Amino acid sequence: MTSLHTISKAPSSRLFESCLPALKQGDGVLFIEDGVYYCLTDASLAVSNPGLEVFSLQEDLVARGLKDRKIDQADVIDYNGFVELCCRYDKVISWF
Amino acid sequence: MINDSHRKTITFISRTPPYGSDRAQLCLDTALAAAVFDQEINYVFHSDGVLQLLNKQNADAIDCKTLGNIAETLQLYGIKNAFVDQGSLQQRDIQEGDLATGVQSIDVEGLTEIIDKSHTVFNL
Amino acid sequence: MKFSIVLYAAPYSSEAAATALKFAKAVLGQGHTIYRLFFFNDGVHAANRFATVAHNEISLQQQWDSFIAQHEIDSVVCVTSAFKRGVLDEQEAKRQQFGVASMYGSSEIAGLGQLIDAAVNSDRVVNFG
Repeated sequence: MTSLHTISKAPSSRLFESCLPALKQGDGVLFIEDGVYYCLTDASLAVSNPGLEVFSLQEDLVARGLKDRKIDQADVIDYNGFVELCCRYDKVISWF
Repeated sequence: MINDSHRKTITFISRTPPYGSDRAQLCLDTALAAAVFDQEINYVFHSDGVLQLLNKQNADAIDCKTLGNIAETLQLYGIKNAFVDQGSLQQRDIQEGDLATGVQSIDVEGLTEIIDKSHTVFNL
Repeated sequence: MKFSIVLYAAPYSSEAAATALKFAKAVLGQGHTIYRLFFFNDGVHAANRFATVAHNEISLQQQWDSFIAQHEIDSVVCVTSAFKRGVLDEQEAKRQQFGVASMYGSSEIAGLGQLIDAAVNSDRVVNFG
């Protein structure tokens, strides 16, 4: 079964680093809230293996002035996209 | 009542140290509630959560309930699948001999397999 | 799909209570159903009806309350988290002789069993904290 992992805290939390070993092929990562600051790091490179997808929540990017700075590897989605991702993956694992 | 067709695998990942916040207790309480529901349950100590398993804790000193016998509590409620993440132990230079017994150590593959088979994951 | 949403964090202290509300609205907006909302740990503060804000603002607590009431959502506030944080339903307020409940009537007080029931009976459980 695939998982969508949401990361909601800033990079200093090292949440994404904790989550990394738990990721497997076919999983997705979604940065929300302060987690979108991971888009300023090379986090997405770490999951750029084939079969892993990275997303970032538009509203949280816009709020933080990151809309135009987002890294290419993360697809920007809105809340409707968030809900769609929850359906596409078999479960949601929240890292907070 | 919940019938067998509803039996699901629920995994709890406990990632916080024992006393600085109530999240460790929260995770445990939720798992114990799930045990009563006769579901398939996994309990994983991960990241700072492995610190809950250190021997020789005595939280009387800070007026808290000692969590050190958490592995025993899980077993008492019929939760046999209790695991500790090897990588988290290594990062903290903790040996398995420093820990409470009754918890199996798992590697990265073990962790991903547990998550893979779970219907729901509470990640606290 | 049947969703259940769990909130662990208090309004204002973090973004989670606002995120969870936006998410819940999007869930219904897309034609899915919410099996249950579960307010857990500091998340119980979202059901505190004594929260007040400036005149021209609507508190997050009020926003949650209207959303729950409008869509008649099954909304549960965790009993062990709530009482020790001063979020009391009518029955407990009476028992403690406070006279009036501090919790919105749109949610009900219940135990952790309701969270596990939600995990068992929902297609997706989404946690915010």
